[in-house]
Parts: sequence; C-alpha cells; structure tokens
Amino acid sequence: MPPSPVPDSGGKQLMAAGLTDRLTGQMGSLQEALRRLSKAATFKDLSDQFLSVTAGFFPEGEISLFRRPGNSAAWERLSHPRGEEAVPPEQGAPGPSPDGAGTLIRVDHELVDASRLAAVVTRRSAGTPYTDVDVISLRLFVALFDSAFQEMLARRNEKELIFSLNHRVLQLNSLIDTGIEVAKLDRDITPYQLALERAASLTNASKGSVTITRGEEQIERILFPAGLTGLRTDGEGGGIASRFTFGGNSYSFRLFEKESRSGAIPFEETDQLLLDALARQVHASLENRYLHEQELEKQKIDQDIAVAAAIQQRILPAELPVIEGYDVAGINIPSKSVGGDYYDCIPLADGRYALVIADVAGKGVQAALLVSSLHAYLSAYLEGGMALVGLVKRLNRVICTASTDDKFITAFVALLTPQTGGLEALNAGHNPVYLLRTDGTVQELNRGGVPLGMLDMDFPYESETLTLGSGERLLLYTDGIPEAHNRLNELYESDTPLKEFVVGHVPPGAGAFIAELINDVKRFTADAPQSDDITALYLLRR
Amino acid sequence: MEQPFSLASEVRDNRLIITTSGYVNNVGGETIAREFNKHFEGGTKHVVINLGQSKVVNSVGMSFLIEIIEKLQDVDGKLVFTDLDPAVEKMLAIMGLFQFAGKEKSVEDALASFSSAG
Repeated sequence: MPPSPVPDSGGKQLMAAGLTDRLTGQMGSLQEALRRLSKAATFKDLSDQFLSVTAGFFPEGEISLFRRPGNSAAWERLSHPRGEEAVPPEQGAPGPSPDGAGTLIRVDHELVDASRLAAVVTRRSAGTPYTDVDVISLRLFVALFDSAFQEMLARRNEKELIFSLNHRVLQLNSLIDTGIEVAKLDRDITPYQLALERAASLTNASKGSVTITRGEEQIERILFPAGLTGLRTDGEGGGIASRFTFGGNSYSFRLFEKESRSGAIPFEETDQLLLDALARQVHASLENRYLHEQELEKQKIDQDIAVAAAIQQRILPAELPVIEGYDVAGINIPSKSVGGDYYDCIPLADGRYALVIADVAGKGVQAALLVSSLHAYLSAYLEGGMALVGLVKRLNRVICTASTDDKFITAFVALLTPQTGGLEALNAGHNPVYLLRTDGTVQELNRGGVPLGMLDMDFPYESETLTLGSGERLLLYTDGIPEAHNRLNELYESDTPLKEFVVGHVPPGAGAFIAELINDVKRFTADAPQSDDITALYLLRR
Repeated sequence: MEQPFSLASEVRDNRLIITTSGYVNNVGGETIAREFNKHFEGGTKHVVINLGQSKVVNSVGMSFLIEIIEKLQDVDGKLVFTDLDPAVEKMLAIMGLFQFAGKEKSVEDALASFSSAG
C-alpha cells in the first residue's frame, strides 16, 4: 500500500471538498449513532453500542476498544476482536492517523471522567487503504461516544441526586414518624426496638444493637436483625453509638457496617445526628411512659382514697341519736379526703349511750382502715356489754395487732346513763375532755391510760366516774381544734384557749355551740389551709 | 424484631412472584435482583414482590428495586409490590418507586391487575 499522497494547495482544496462531501453523506449515520449511544445506561452498554455502530461503518475492519482509568497506566480491553490483528494501545501510542500501510487507525481520546478511551481499527483483509476521512470519521464516533458518556453520567448524577434528595426527605419524614410512634403506649414493640430498626434503615447500617445495663449488669440486649450472632459488645467493633441514662438504666444504641452498593463505607456525620435524634426520642418516650404510669398509679390511689373516704363517711354518724333530757351535736371536717378522726354517740341495749372520740396518728387510707377497725371492734364490744376498762384493754390489743409500729389511736370513751347523768369515762391518751359545771368551772377528764395500739401489753387502764348535772356541758374534741393554725403558723389555742371558749360560750343548744366553735376556729385560721382533721362532740344536759 | 433476609419465589403463568422475609438491605436487595434477573433473562416481564414479612428496607435495598423497575420499563413490563407494611409503603412512596411500580394489597390482587392490564 503506497503512502498517503501529500496534496499541493489546489489538491488540498479538492480533498477538503471531497472530505466535506463524504462527511456530509455520513451525517445520517452519525445522527443514528448518537441516538443509539445516548440510550446506553452503563459503560458496557455504551461500548457495545459503539462497536455495533462502528462495525457498520468499517465493514472490512476489526474494531477494538480500550480504556485506561485516569489513575492507571494499564489499558483495559473493552472488546474482543475475532481476529489476531487487534493492536493493544500499549504497543505504541494510538495515533490519530492511519499507519503507513493504511491498515490501522488509532484514536485516543480523554473522556470526561479523566479516563482515556482508545479505539483501534485494523483491516481484516486487503483492500482500499484507510484514509484521513476514515480517521476523522473514527474521531467523530469517539467524540460521539464521549458525548453519550457525558449524557449518561449526567443522567446518572441526576438520578443519584434525586435519590439522595428523596432519601434525605425520607430520613426527615421517618424521624418525625418515629417520634410519634415511639410515643405511642400501646405498641407491641418497645420504643428502643423500633428506634433501632429505624436507625439501621435510615443510615443503611447492616446491623445494630441496643444494650440496657444497670451498673455492671446487662439487663437486656436487642440485636438487629434478630438472631444475629457474633456481634461484638459495646465499645468494640467500630460503628457509631449513642447513649442515655434513665431510671438508673443506661441505654446504648450502636450501629455497625454502613452499606453501599460497593461494600462497607464509613458512617457520615448525618448518621450520627440521626442516631442521636432517635435515641433522644426514645429517652423522651420512656420519660413520658414513666410519667403516664405515675399518673395511672396516682389515679388508682385517688380511687382507693375515694373508696376509703366513702367507707369512713358511713362509719361517722349521719345523725346523732336523740337522748331524752340532753342535746348532743357533733362535727367532723377532714383535712384530706380521708381523715383519721372518729366520733360517735352509740345507744346501748341497756339504755345507756357510749360517747366516743378518737384520733389516729397519721392520715390517709391506712388511718381510715384503723378507724374502721376501731369502729368495728368498739361496736362489737359495746354490744357484748363489756365493762369500760376491759373493753378499752381489748381495744388496745386488737389495735396493736391491726396497726403498724408508727400507728396508734388516742381515744376518749364514756358511758352515759341518761336518767341519772352518771358518766363513766376513760381517756386513752386523748386531749382532755372539758366538763363545764354550772358554777362556771371546767373539769378536765384525763384519767385512763396510754393511746390504743401504742404498747402491746396488759396496761392498767382506769376509768373515772362522775355525774353530769342539769345545765352542765361536755366537750370532746380532737387536736385539730387547739392546733389549728393561721398563715403566721400561730396556734388557735394560743389565741383562744379552748377551756376559756367553753366557759364563754353557752348557747342554749349543742348544735349552736358546735357552730360557734367552728366559726371561731375559721375566723382565726382565715385563708390558711386546714392542717388536720377537726372533730368535736358536744353534750348538754338540759 | 426484623429477621435476617430470606426469599422464596414461584412462577405462575409466566408471572414471577418473589416473597421476601427480613431486612431488605444490600444483601436482601442483591438477592432479590439476582432472582429477578434469572427470570428476566428468560423473558419474564411481570413481577410481584411480596414484602409482607419485610418491615425494614434501607436505601441500598431500594436501589436494587429501582433497577428492577427500570429493567422492566425497558421491556414494557411491570413490577407490583404487595402486602406492604405502612412504614415500608411510605418509604417506597417517598423514594418515588410508585411512579413506575404498582402496589396491591395481596399477591392475588397483583396478578389480577396484570390480567386486567392485558
């Protein structure tokens, strides 16, 4: 094959005209090639399409395609020519021109990703030598390859960008959803299990764990996915972690092996932020659950207290009996919904009446239960006709058995014989009961013994006997009256000694006296909260 | 708690039904894609993926599902997801998968949708 002619000036013009004509004729082929190359989705697709379109253009030739990555010196063969003539580029820099014999064309082109593409056309059999037009045509095809490759990369980048943006939206959305879901109290999955699943999913972690410890003791460990084996304990194995403590327990979330299509990659800062945010949501959820449980428990206690209060209201007399020749009135104002005070005036089978007032140390349900016990035993013993001292001794024993060490009852019990005004009284550690005589003196009834339930021994209780004359009055009360205090924390007793009040207030009826007493206490305490139960029983012999 | 990934498949009237269980991540997605490709090369163009036992999917797993959708689009085929957990359904929706893939309550509904679409 002769070397390519070197044209003179006129020849150059003729060649240029011929070249233009030939290239113009190929325009349709080039457009079709661009259309086909542009549809490629992968580099391999692109290479295959290139070989296909150029095979039609160089029917006598064998086309080889090579690629050399930007950071490599070695060429990678992309096609597999049938013949032996294919010349790898490393045997010589691929040249832009046909070789001297016109049997070989090499075109070397830098692609947009800084890699190099080499296309080599070798003639399989003898024939017309390749010319500059063929070189230019091959260059044009390679340029089309580059354009299609750029377009493919742009499409891929666009898809990746959309995917990435969607994933960010997904992460934000899931963060919000997870916050709502972990706050739900009726799920069949714990909030930390749910958060672990979501964290693994949103960060592309292949596995994860939640470890709950109290001190050195591991209470629970949850693995994701379930059934994993060989996952290393916290503090080892890399990954990312987030921790918090609540209720004395430490909760540690860990994620391992961030996935990608090309293998494990390092976790990103965003992954850590997401894990921290989810852990915080679990922390808040656990706190809310705790508060919710506390509230439920409080509601239950309130219900119990309400029941106890209802029971106690039934124990306290709805109305006192009418005693011929006497006027009797009483009142109980509990400071809490369930108080520890008790009073009653109980008619006995033999015509006598039992006047009772008692005060349990402490308040609330336990105090109410003790009052209930006192009421039951007292009623039973009175019905049985027991003598007063023996009755109180028995009461002391049963209250000792029924109460805890810090609970006892101060009580005053008196048995009144209405016809004679005879009164047998026993004071078991209670406030003195005031007996206002007609001469204006006040007798304190103190004789008795220790409070009920305070000492579990055969304590020598004793009673006193006296007579209530016409016009004489008896006041039984609990310490809620003398110890009522105002905003300055001053006691009512220091303002108005109760004994003086008894002397100074002698209305014609028992109810009127109770009303005057309570009004006076309220005058003193004003807007100060009531600190103790207020209970009083007043008996007036006409 | 989500289990490690596993997969089962069957073909009914040249329609591939893939049923997954467990975490659809890189391994899960790759396993689904491999199973799909095996049948796709044999000419299967209608595919059902039952994700009822997969409550957790990550974006790597989703990228394999997107590839399957794209391949089916090129041959005028169709992918339908079924039995979706609400959280997974929302994830797939946000990632745009339902622009090109269907969703049905059950495998039977999905197969019926292929029939009605011809």
